[in-house]
Amino acid sequence: MVKRVSIIGAVIVAVYWVTMPWAFGQQVRGVTDTEILVGQWGPQTGPAAAWGSVARGTGLLFKIINEEGGIHGRKIKYFLRDDSYQPAKTKAIVKEFLEQIGVFAVVAGVGVGTGMAVRDELMENKVIWVGPATGVYNWIQPFQRYLFAVFPLYDDEAYHLTAYLFEKMGLKKIAMFYQNDDYGKQGLMGVERYLKEKNTALVVKLSYEVTERDLSSHALKLKDSGAQAVILWSSPAHAAILLGETAKIGFKPQWASSCTLSDSPQMLQMTKGLWAGTINSFFAELPDSDHPLMVKYREWHKKLEPQERWGVFYYAGMMFAEPFVEGLRRAGRNLTPETLVKAMETLKDWKGTGPPITYGPNERQGGKHLFYGRVRPDGTVERLTDWVKITK
Amino acid sequence: MDLKRDYYEDIELFKSKTVLVSTILGLIFLALLPALVSKYHFLGLSIYLVNLITVHSIVAIGLNIVVGYTGQISMGHAGFFAIGAFTTIILILRAGFPFLLALPVAAFVSSAFGFLLGLPALRLKGPYLAIATLGFGMAVTTTIKHLEFFGGRMGLQAPKLKLFGTVLKDLHLYYLIITIAIIMVVGAVKLMKTRVGRAFVAIRDSDIAAEAMGVNLTYYKTLAFAVSAFYTGVAGGLYAFILGFINPEGFHLIMSITFLAMIVVGGLGSIVGSIAGAVLMTYLDVKLQAVQDVPWVGPALLAFSQQYMTVSGISNIAPIVYGIIMILIVLFEPLGLFGFWIRVKRYWKTWPF
Amino acid sequence: MLGQLIVSGLAVGACYALLALAMVIIYKTSEVLNFAQGEMAMVSTFVAFVLLEGYHIPFVWAVVLTLMFALLLGVFVERVFLSTAKEPTVLGLIIITLGFEMILMGFAGWKWGPDQRSFPFPVSSVEAYRLGDLTISRINFWTILICLTLMFVLFLFFRYTKLGMAMRATQQNVMMARVMGIRTKRILSFTWAVSSMIGATAGMLIATLGVLDPNMMMDPLLKGFASAVLGGMTSLPGAALGGAILGMVENVFGGYVSLSFKGVVAFAIIVLMLCFRPSGLLARHYVKKV
Repeated sequence: MVKRVSIIGAVIVAVYWVTMPWAFGQQVRGVTDTEILVGQWGPQTGPAAAWGSVARGTGLLFKIINEEGGIHGRKIKYFLRDDSYQPAKTKAIVKEFLEQIGVFAVVAGVGVGTGMAVRDELMENKVIWVGPATGVYNWIQPFQRYLFAVFPLYDDEAYHLTAYLFEKMGLKKIAMFYQNDDYGKQGLMGVERYLKEKNTALVVKLSYEVTERDLSSHALKLKDSGAQAVILWSSPAHAAILLGETAKIGFKPQWASSCTLSDSPQMLQMTKGLWAGTINSFFAELPDSDHPLMVKYREWHKKLEPQERWGVFYYAGMMFAEPFVEGLRRAGRNLTPETLVKAMETLKDWKGTGPPITYGPNERQGGKHLFYGRVRPDGTVERLTDWVKITK
Repeated sequence: MDLKRDYYEDIELFKSKTVLVSTILGLIFLALLPALVSKYHFLGLSIYLVNLITVHSIVAIGLNIVVGYTGQISMGHAGFFAIGAFTTIILILRAGFPFLLALPVAAFVSSAFGFLLGLPALRLKGPYLAIATLGFGMAVTTTIKHLEFFGGRMGLQAPKLKLFGTVLKDLHLYYLIITIAIIMVVGAVKLMKTRVGRAFVAIRDSDIAAEAMGVNLTYYKTLAFAVSAFYTGVAGGLYAFILGFINPEGFHLIMSITFLAMIVVGGLGSIVGSIAGAVLMTYLDVKLQAVQDVPWVGPALLAFSQQYMTVSGISNIAPIVYGIIMILIVLFEPLGLFGFWIRVKRYWKTWPF
Repeated sequence: MLGQLIVSGLAVGACYALLALAMVIIYKTSEVLNFAQGEMAMVSTFVAFVLLEGYHIPFVWAVVLTLMFALLLGVFVERVFLSTAKEPTVLGLIIITLGFEMILMGFAGWKWGPDQRSFPFPVSSVEAYRLGDLTISRINFWTILICLTLMFVLFLFFRYTKLGMAMRATQQNVMMARVMGIRTKRILSFTWAVSSMIGATAGMLIATLGVLDPNMMMDPLLKGFASAVLGGMTSLPGAALGGAILGMVENVFGGYVSLSFKGVVAFAIIVLMLCFRPSGLLARHYVKKV
């Protein structure tokens, strides 16, 4: 018996030593003479599937670029994978990107849990990552050389939104309804930071879990608190449910929300019209904007993907990738991770369809502006301010 | 030949020369696998995926011990998986345990919870037990989510795995996991051949009769849950390092259901079946996400989607395939893939009759 | 506030009660836990949505057609999946229902996409009746009313009709029922059909109270299970009572103790009930022979 085991063990060790050198090789991954390989993960199925449109939007941008001839003679080959919002699957996808496909960069990508599962792996392998689709600190703290954030920070966004309500609209009794995760909590941080400076606090703050559908007690508590304004840092579904519940008990405060709920036509439809009058922050041009890029995108959208709804998160997928494309243009024909990083760092107040993007040798938070608007009953948005700087 | 002349032959690990040779070949294959995977993209695998499959196999074996061999139902094994993962990480991060100590300790913690879950199992049967275990699984997830000690909702970042002072990379991780898996497989096989294993099977076949024959139900039922939880806890600890980052959201009900599906599809009451089921289901789970890239089938599905369904939801084919497999196996081959294998063997052995 | 919490809790509890009812009906006759209950209801609700929004069929007719769809769906499940199984074990049956659940979920996600929609129920979800301090919204009121009516109808059905008695007989002893001339196969199909229809009703109400998307039934299903366990898996009034109690307890807990742990209440109830009184509040425990 011992003899058997030791023979088997010896065979295994020998094989291991022999095969080790075979395992890994190296070259400029993801860049060929004619193509640049770019990947993205996104929840196309599962509970978060509504955000799947981000990844598809990026696909449209790359299609447009390829139709217009590519960048410095290279077309973009885009790989979209579904991770159902599960970190285990995101990890598998990134492994596939690294080991089998060999991508040069990753763009956008929805989810903090999913992104965090792969952030270190991407950074260690020098994969450029531009525009994660959430505004949390995790992307820029600690400093990551190859990670360029685009989405404005939730913390600062909440701070300024509260400031707008408090100062511009004179609403002093503010309550908050937030999702119980990093997204909601960082929003809460910003709100409380502002109110603390004004020596006051939220009249009530309520969190909810993503799986909860019954928000009647939340509505009740909000009404009891006597709040004049309620800040929402939630998902569209839950905001819709909450607005329904509060309407039932006759509570109508000034609603205000993060840019994650800025898909106004969708929100209006889901809340059966109750969404009218809400104040939103916006991180991208409005869907009917006449900004030249938006007009161009809309034309291409009609031509190439007319079955997709022209919603905010769909074209946000394009917005997250715009800095990357600009970086590719500036880096020139000699494309490596280092040249792209240098090129990205030259972006100063560069504007696509989103906020002005600025990077620097130590600066990786590109999006630092938002603008505010109020939703009209017909789904359009009345712009209340221009682009406001929220992050220093 | 299947005839045994004495008890010792019956409990031997390698029943015949054939089994021995195929085991050795299997081990050589496992040793060569990383090279095959990275050089030749064998079956579209990556080392991460192979690690994941191995970890799932350990869970499947553990679950099969309590479901296939002892006849209980557990829909909460994601809970043990989570306990194993979180305990290992916390012991390493906060208490400074070395990995080789943290893993067994976490597994024992998990088996303690298994013992606790086994207690209601003494009184509950069938559907009631299913609901109770389901409740357990969800309670574990919810508790972890709310306690900041476990990193709260956002989970914990796993530290780099250090073994004897050196940091392990993916490849080394693979060999570590395979070694642990082999140890656990041998352990399970041996366990089922002893008195304990026989007691489990007796309980499955008829627990009241077993008690009448002297099998202490309390002891053995709780032991079954404890052993099963131990296995799942070990797997959980390894899983934490494969993934690099664990958060409570990831250990949901669907995971428990997937584990259950693995053993039902693979074969209840069979170690080989558990492994086969785990391999198949994990592979499908990950590969079906990119179904549109599969030659022939992919574009056909895409065209079909554009006509009748939404294109964006095409990866939804994964749960559909899963569900169909589960149903077909239960309806037509209750013994799972292992049962199918037995049929094939029997056909060859008794040919041409 | 307590009164308001209880009233809202009753409305939500009415939905849980309907789901629990659907589950108990099946459990009583087939001893199967129907995990696919939620998804079956969800798909039926989507069918209703398509009829209402896509084809602009008047509401009453849409409901009738949806219920017929649910009926066929129930019969389909029973005939194709459950009857075909050769001597299925408890685990086997659970796996079948789980498998079907996954198929339905995948299908719904594929066919209708993940976007959330609002379900066009003719009763306004906003207007409310006021009784002194308490507000009960119209939709909540109608939910409770529909639930009570259904329960009453089912009660009469099981007690006083031939079919109802046949169903009870089948549940108690299948062999003897067949000997007595009851066509048990048909009864089983009919049971599933009824259960599916009740589930569809619950689905439509839940969609109206919240949003319509493929995942809307995941949470209510578990709450339905909890209600059934609470009231007794073999007792119809128990299921209803369980739903009502669960709804109220959850809300009161959320209002006074802790809103963030509200979701755990259902599971705590399951665990406690199963430990101390597994047969539930209203049911009797049957002991099995060796």
